[in-house]
Amino acid sequence: MDFVMPDFRLAAPELFVAAMSLVILMVTSFAKSRARSAAFWLCEFTLLAAVFLTLFSGTVDRAQTFSGMYISDLLGGFLKAVVCLSVAVVLQYGRAYMADRKIDSPEYYILVLFAALGMMVLISASHFVSIYLGLELMSLALYALVAIDRDNPRSTEAGMKYFVLGALASGLLLYGMSMLYGATGSLQIHEISQRIYERSANDMVVVFGLVFVLVGIAFKLGVVPFHMWVPDVYHGAPTAVTLLVSSAPKIAAFAMAFRILVLGLFDLAEQWQMMLMLLAVGSIVLGNLAAVAQTNIKRMLAYSGISHMGFMLLGLMSGVVKGEGGTYAVNAYSSAMFYAVAYVMMTLAAFGMVILLSRAGFEAENVDDFKGLNQRSPWFAGMMLIVMFSMAGIPFFVGFFAKLSVLQAVVAAGNVSGQALYYWLAGLAVLMSAVGAYYYLRVVKVMYFDDAVDTSPLTATLGTRTLLSANALSIAAVGLLPNWLMQICAFTLLH
Amino acid sequence: MDFTLFLFYAFAAVLLGASVGVIASRNSVHSALFLVLAFFNAAAIWMLLRAEFLAIALILVYVGAVMVLFLFVVMMLDINVERIRQGFWSYLPLGLIVAAILFIEMALVVGGKWAGLDAMPMPAEPAAGYSNTKALAWLMFTDFAYPFELASFVLLVAMIAAVALTLRARAGNKAIDPAAQIAVKASDRLRIVSLPAEKSN
Amino acid sequence: MSEMEKLYLIVPLAPLVGAIFAGLFGKLIGRTASHVVTILGVAVAFVASVVVFQDVQAGNSYNGSIYTWATAGDLRLELGFLIDKLTVMMMLVVTFVSLMVHIYTIGYMHADPGYQRFFSYISLFTFSMLMLVMSNNFVQLFFGWEAVGLVSYLLIGFWYTKSTAIYANLKAFLVNRVGDFGFLLGIGLIAAHTGSLDYATVFSKLPELSVKTISLFGDSAWPLLTVVCICLFVGAMGKSAQVPLHVWLPDSMEGPTPISALIHAATMVTAGIFMVTRMSPLFEVSETARAFVLVIGATTALFMGFLGIIQNDIKRVVAYSTLSQLGYMTVALGVSAYSAAVFHLMTHAFFKALLFLAAGSVIIGMHHEQDIRRMGGLWKRMPITWITSLIGSLALIGFPFMAGFFSKDSIIEAVAASHTLGAKYAYACVLIGVFVTAFYSFRMYFLVFHGRERFHAAHAEAHDDHGHGAHGGEVPHESPWVVWLPLVLLAVPSVVIGYLAIGPMLFGDWFGASIVVHEGNNALAHLEAHFTSAFGMAIHGFMTLPFALAMAGVATAAYFYLVKPEIPARIATAFGPVYRLLENKYYFDRFNEIVFAAGSRALGKVFWKAGDQAVIDGLLVNGTAKIIGGFAQIIRYFQTGHLYQYAFTIIIGVVVLLAFWGSRG
Repeated sequence: MDFVMPDFRLAAPELFVAAMSLVILMVTSFAKSRARSAAFWLCEFTLLAAVFLTLFSGTVDRAQTFSGMYISDLLGGFLKAVVCLSVAVVLQYGRAYMADRKIDSPEYYILVLFAALGMMVLISASHFVSIYLGLELMSLALYALVAIDRDNPRSTEAGMKYFVLGALASGLLLYGMSMLYGATGSLQIHEISQRIYERSANDMVVVFGLVFVLVGIAFKLGVVPFHMWVPDVYHGAPTAVTLLVSSAPKIAAFAMAFRILVLGLFDLAEQWQMMLMLLAVGSIVLGNLAAVAQTNIKRMLAYSGISHMGFMLLGLMSGVVKGEGGTYAVNAYSSAMFYAVAYVMMTLAAFGMVILLSRAGFEAENVDDFKGLNQRSPWFAGMMLIVMFSMAGIPFFVGFFAKLSVLQAVVAAGNVSGQALYYWLAGLAVLMSAVGAYYYLRVVKVMYFDDAVDTSPLTATLGTRTLLSANALSIAAVGLLPNWLMQICAFTLLH
Repeated sequence: MDFTLFLFYAFAAVLLGASVGVIASRNSVHSALFLVLAFFNAAAIWMLLRAEFLAIALILVYVGAVMVLFLFVVMMLDINVERIRQGFWSYLPLGLIVAAILFIEMALVVGGKWAGLDAMPMPAEPAAGYSNTKALAWLMFTDFAYPFELASFVLLVAMIAAVALTLRARAGNKAIDPAAQIAVKASDRLRIVSLPAEKSN
Repeated sequence: MSEMEKLYLIVPLAPLVGAIFAGLFGKLIGRTASHVVTILGVAVAFVASVVVFQDVQAGNSYNGSIYTWATAGDLRLELGFLIDKLTVMMMLVVTFVSLMVHIYTIGYMHADPGYQRFFSYISLFTFSMLMLVMSNNFVQLFFGWEAVGLVSYLLIGFWYTKSTAIYANLKAFLVNRVGDFGFLLGIGLIAAHTGSLDYATVFSKLPELSVKTISLFGDSAWPLLTVVCICLFVGAMGKSAQVPLHVWLPDSMEGPTPISALIHAATMVTAGIFMVTRMSPLFEVSETARAFVLVIGATTALFMGFLGIIQNDIKRVVAYSTLSQLGYMTVALGVSAYSAAVFHLMTHAFFKALLFLAAGSVIIGMHHEQDIRRMGGLWKRMPITWITSLIGSLALIGFPFMAGFFSKDSIIEAVAASHTLGAKYAYACVLIGVFVTAFYSFRMYFLVFHGRERFHAAHAEAHDDHGHGAHGGEVPHESPWVVWLPLVLLAVPSVVIGYLAIGPMLFGDWFGASIVVHEGNNALAHLEAHFTSAFGMAIHGFMTLPFALAMAGVATAAYFYLVKPEIPARIATAFGPVYRLLENKYYFDRFNEIVFAAGSRALGKVFWKAGDQAVIDGLLVNGTAKIIGGFAQIIRYFQTGHLYQYAFTIIIGVVVLLAFWGSRG
């Protein structure tokens, strides 16, 4: 048997984070009283160093190592940098929140770091085994994190639900993978793609496997009808963990969807395109409509997240027309990627605001808790305004351009294929965005036009305030200058 | 029908029967024991496929360790089976319909021409002296070293999670902390206070 | 990004930085720091403009995009610069006048509580105006166009507690909307028919555009470019205050005087002139559009001049003279004398800014008294203001050797030589306009600076209204140096710039390819044949009809207001109907109020009641809200919290996907 020694440099970010997670584990075990702050700072250092590593150590050309299990490319590099950065932001936002509730054990930080590691592995995985393990590493850490407020029944219940449903979804995913393996004899994505292409038959086993793999992906994205866990988990988990669950894993799931569907199963595009369309439509409709009825802002953001992921899928599925890709395909994929990145920016800021309003012994969970925020802090009311406007897709914030580019991709697919279906899709998406604007603007309304019920001052630290402001302002800034991010998305996808 | 094939069908039949038993039996201890039976038969089928190492590992790990632990837990918990089964009957019709559809759909695929024996030919006869275990080990530490290590991380996370979610320091714990005892200084134990002499007047 | 590109960026961005600092942190950094930072920003922009000017003089030009803001299909929305001689001239004028006004403002606004806000606004204006003139595409042009409009709106209503100011800024806003609507239609037509918003690309498609027609009403075929040009010009009419969209400009005098000088005289109102000049390749194709431009311009030039005669507010006199002068520029555009139009734009920017600032200086000196009937004899109290005002007035009436003479005479000559439709009418208008201009300019000059001192009586009354410090019995005195220094600095170009620049700008092909004039339309060619030197032209200027008319105007003014001050009143009663017509500004405002304002209010009420309240609120908003709310409740019902239901949903999802695709396989 021939075995090529893997090139470890290609996987430097993952190896670094893995090694550091072990180091932090040891350090915190011995640093008694200062374990928490040591864990925090070390995790932040690790994540930021990982950002640096992914951006500057990666190769421009696509390269594989670990016997084709790991792929190093610009797409992965960029997405991993986004993931690490957003997790670093999550830690900063959540620090005081977790400390106030006395659940900021060193394990919390370590589990977050492991989750980040899982996402990085997932993003760079090009083999079903590494995909699965990355996914599990991420998920397992997230399950535990959701339940980390272990004395709170809501938190443990959410963790339990997430775990059981996640296990079910993982089982389905594995089942699908084994089907694909049975049909093609390989687990490596590029080989699978090659084999399916060679057989060139419309193979039912492969389609069968595709369905189950898609279920696994859809579950992680939280799209209809695999979304049931989303509201309960977002609601039940401590807000700092909700922040994590709602942000970076979506990027990882996008990478997973892109690698499996577009790179691996492109010859089945006709099939998965229709499936994605079904999921996307369901998510956009249900997410937006259900969010209207929510009074709890975490649940509202959960449903809004469902609809956002539906939008993202809409972009992803527009890259193929009648099983063929074209020049517009890059636009479609980059629109989906742009959407995912934009969503992460927005969800971080939105949940960041929820955390900002919370304090020891008080959870700012309801939309009513935002009442009269303008009287308490005009600056942060403005920041929340930016976030809500952006999520509603009001120009000129990043959310507007994300929606616009996705709709453009859908319409472009309609133009190429000549099918009216795409126009209907775009129309429906616009209509549902209008519905969505209702509940986003309701938050703005209570902030500016209602009197404050709770007039206590905001307690967040300067660091969190600064970062949150920067986060919200970046939404506005990227909205004004969206092109560079679009170009990054298109550029990394082209390579 | 040669003997191997006969064995396969026998093991497969018991495996399926045991699986049904796992979900059908009213007593959870029985369910666990049925699961053990199912593992045994699965191991036997692997054995037929010449996957000796996997078969042994299945028995050692799952039957020997996991299931034993599981049994302990099941016996220690007082689970009211009837309460759990509330609503079972009301959901049964819908569940059966969905199960039937799923079964038909899967049968359409698996029973079709693509999943037949001719679609998946038997692997070539291995050379003499071929060691299944060695081949597995070779793969595991070369091509699959990356996922192997990742799997260890998954386990580590599971451990940390278990500790984080369950370990709690009990209030009133009398255990001594040797480090604190050694690090103690005289000044920590004895405090000298100067009191002004009382003046009588 | 090359060195020059960086420099181009610095020009607009330096004032923007100043504006941001003064605007957002004005309270923090204080008054002095606010004016230092904004003046510094504009000064940097001015210096950079000078460097760019030298670079352009050396024969360089630039056309390129700096940043692609967004793409919609094949349509690219970009930020880009087109730097050529036309641009650089505008940059110099804008930054120089803006710098003067900034300095002047220190003195003029020193007691105002909105000091920092004011500086922030005028720097922001400078940024917007520079973006407008430096643009290489319609999007950025439109952005700048709207941005200057916005700042103008903010500044007219700067004293936002004054109800007349609020009325005036709303009026300016609404009237400009009408113009902008046309402008936007024009841009839209261009985008629709060329697929591009880039000047160069659009101009390169001219051959195919010029033969296109579109049907507007029924089947009538209109040449596309005529429609485009008229639409664009409607935009220019709004911004450059041409009849009938001129009504906002006189009212805009409610704003502080420095911005009247900067925005409503020197720069923003000339944006329309600049835009048409920039679009000269388009306008050259359509004779109909040019005739339209010509008639509108001529009407504005003469009839707005008439209104200047009867105004008593010092700023309104200057405002009507601005309207009239903008009419002259528009006339020049109509006869294809684009270079004459921008030449007049430049000279006018200097002397009109000078006149406005001088008027402001008088207002300061008179302690915020603006009625010229209550002034008089100020020449010995405010010598610098007096001299500079005289220079400005002479430049305005086109006294030979002054800047205004060269530009205005060129326009008149160009009109005389032109064969465009309506040129005869325009010639009559501009000739009479010369007399009118001289008359109202010197009427104001004599009333303010000469004659009897009438302010003593005025002070007793004005004291109650203003209470501006204790100066009841004080006499007017010269303004501080920050006020008169800009006057002096502006007086210099008001005298010399015409003499220096006429050769190259009008006849020396200085503008090169920036301005396109077709051979048959070149009215200036006739002048060029007779032009020997600026000196010769000025000497010749003493013997022409316009000079005679101007002198007649001055003489009449002197007779009416210095020798026999009782005559005007008698004329007013003798020609009662005419006087009332002028006093009511030809009833434009009344007409607008009755027809447009009341009409749109009535229309709005119908839409509000029938459309908004009945259909939208009743049926759509509340109706959909109810449906959605009901639907949301149903979904909520499904989200039971039971784990097995969730798992079951997942299985159902699998079944659905499988059923859907198992059948297709």
